[in-house]
Amino acid sequence: MDMMERLMNLDRRWLYLLVGLAAVIPILAPLNLPVNVSRPVQDLFDRVESLEPGEIIMVSFDYGPSTGPENDPMGDAIILHALARDLRVVVIALYPLGGVTEAREELERCVGDLDPPNGQIASERFPDKVYGRDFIYFGYKDGGLAAMRLMSDNMHEVFPADFYGTPLDEYELGREVQGYDNVAFVMSLATGIIGEWWANLVNAQFGTPVAVGCTAVSAPKYFAYYRAGQMFALLAGLKGAAEYEFLVSQKYPQLAQITDSFIYNAGKGWDVQSVVYSIITLFIIIGNVAFIVERRRQKRGM
Amino acid sequence: MDFGTVAATWLGAFFTLCILSFLYKDNPFFRFAESVFAGVSMGYYIGNTFGQTFVPNLVHPLFTPPAGTPREWILVIPLLLGFLLYTRYIKKVAWVSRFSLAIYVGYYTGVNMMQKLQGEVLPQSADTILSFWRAGTFTNVGEWISLLVVVVGVLSVLVYFFFSAEHKGAIGGVSRLGIWFLMVSFGAAFGYTIMGRISILIGRVIFLINQWLGIGNGGVA
Amino acid sequence: MYKKQFPLLLAFLGGAIPIISFFITTPGDRLKVTTDTLQDWMLIIAGAALLLGVVNLFQINLRKISTRAKGWPNALWLLLSLVIAATFGLADAFGTSVFGIWGGDVAFQWIQDAAFKPLQATMFSLLAFYVASAAFRAFRVRNVEAGILLAAALIIMLGVNPYAVKVLPFLPDATNWIMNIPNAAAQRGIIIGAALGAASFSLRILLGIERSYLGLQKGE
Repeated sequence: MDMMERLMNLDRRWLYLLVGLAAVIPILAPLNLPVNVSRPVQDLFDRVESLEPGEIIMVSFDYGPSTGPENDPMGDAIILHALARDLRVVVIALYPLGGVTEAREELERCVGDLDPPNGQIASERFPDKVYGRDFIYFGYKDGGLAAMRLMSDNMHEVFPADFYGTPLDEYELGREVQGYDNVAFVMSLATGIIGEWWANLVNAQFGTPVAVGCTAVSAPKYFAYYRAGQMFALLAGLKGAAEYEFLVSQKYPQLAQITDSFIYNAGKGWDVQSVVYSIITLFIIIGNVAFIVERRRQKRGM
Repeated sequence: MDFGTVAATWLGAFFTLCILSFLYKDNPFFRFAESVFAGVSMGYYIGNTFGQTFVPNLVHPLFTPPAGTPREWILVIPLLLGFLLYTRYIKKVAWVSRFSLAIYVGYYTGVNMMQKLQGEVLPQSADTILSFWRAGTFTNVGEWISLLVVVVGVLSVLVYFFFSAEHKGAIGGVSRLGIWFLMVSFGAAFGYTIMGRISILIGRVIFLINQWLGIGNGGVA
Repeated sequence: MYKKQFPLLLAFLGGAIPIISFFITTPGDRLKVTTDTLQDWMLIIAGAALLLGVVNLFQINLRKISTRAKGWPNALWLLLSLVIAATFGLADAFGTSVFGIWGGDVAFQWIQDAAFKPLQATMFSLLAFYVASAAFRAFRVRNVEAGILLAAALIIMLGVNPYAVKVLPFLPDATNWIMNIPNAAAQRGIIIGAALGAASFSLRILLGIERSYLGLQKGE
């Protein structure tokens, strides 16, 4: 019993150290653990597969660096998947504390470095894809709900110019996208409430199909929206990202190669996650066993 | 790698370690990094609000319109309303900021009201009611049971939140059931929250080990 | 009158216009054009509102520095990093260089990589440690409710765990069922309840019953 007691009174810093070590080791020795694909993720994959080449999808980066490890690989996977299927991609950002940074970083990670104002518009990774024709980055806008409502049929009012300051009209894809009617669906990668807005404002009012890649923390609420059909697909946290990345990599080996070349991808994160998660699960079980044993002992003592 | 990238990685690693040091105990390095975090975040706001919103949506169309396009004089109004917000910091004229604030709050309140009713109450209620119709015949018993669980869950949770009647007798029983449904959901939320928090840590560890120290498999950052 | 009643009227109009426009979606309709104009302005006003905190931050920290209050050097660091980041950001916004050396876009990008991103990400990563410690110490089966909570949490946690799934292959299905059925039901109850509450509170604001956001007392 003494051992149990001592365990419960352990300085919390030992726990921290254990968690830290559990996160480091699988990074040094990858495990390639499997993921089970769930329905809400399969729905996104199937929808992207069902679109005709040339159709446009809009990807909104509604998160910041704080949840990058969950949302980044979702952004990578959807952009790569869309380009591999010859869909066209419009990227925007609505999250004030980092969306604009994340959007640019993930887009460039997928297509290669860009510098459109100085003429560098061809993608290094997809030689037949060009900025402004096959993909474009509209940039970030303040205003949240106001911007989302105005975008419905006044896209150029919200985004007069792209991220780099060039008027949208100067690009073929920019000219074409005047509102939600021009996109097949919107995919929001969200840290918190903005993903909900896409469902309960944009989908509810304009009927635009919406898919959301949310953080694990907000996932439970999003399942209610998914169930009601307010979003046709849902990627929940790093697990959702790993499932989608797995589906895309399996169907398109050339994309698997690209994803594997990233310093961080969902598969790699999933390995670490599983190990740390197992340890925390053990913490909960040990903690409760100790609690129950202690309570029994107290009862008997009285 | 060029000098700028290397410097950014090292500075990033320094800040990362400063903040992680808080796990051991509170210390001046953490306090320093925390202050820089607050300052840089605010500076980031300023840069992006100007670069992504004010310049393309206000400055260009109002002050420097491209040749051949008329100046959008009407934008003087939001410019003025934006400025008026700041009068709150000058005691004598602080009341003027109420004009802008009222329009701002009024607009978002109006949108929010409809958003809640049209985008949440109606579709969520409708799906609860209509799901049986969608399920169709009684062939799939498992699905019917699940749908029944949803209906019972939604109603009992709503009863739990209904405070106009005392939670006694039948209402007490139903609201107790509502609590159980909530507990299942909070349990799920707890599991998912742990998952989310770990993911965030993984990103930092990979940054430190693969990117900064260059140990293990590197790749495109 | 114009100090108190007029703002309440403005708030009513500001809310009523988008509400009515919900029911009118004909392109070119005058009310829709009005709403769109209002929304266009809102981008600017929201941007200005977002920056209101800057003034506050300066006031508080300058006071700290001038009175040499406890921790004043941190206040100095805060303002210094704010000024540097904002300078780079504004140079980027207006397409100028920083001191003629760095392009604004390069400088702003650099400070994001070197400071903004690692700081924000690491600050939130601390929570991983706290949540682990809480799981160990605070998460206890004290009664029926806590037992249900724990059971649901454990099924979810094991259901996404590849090791556990190898031993108990039904776990992923159980997890999906919990998320899609009882969890979604409870969340739906919360959503409907909270939405009704929020909608009625919105109405109180628009009708001028709730006016504390303007710094006004009831009946003022």
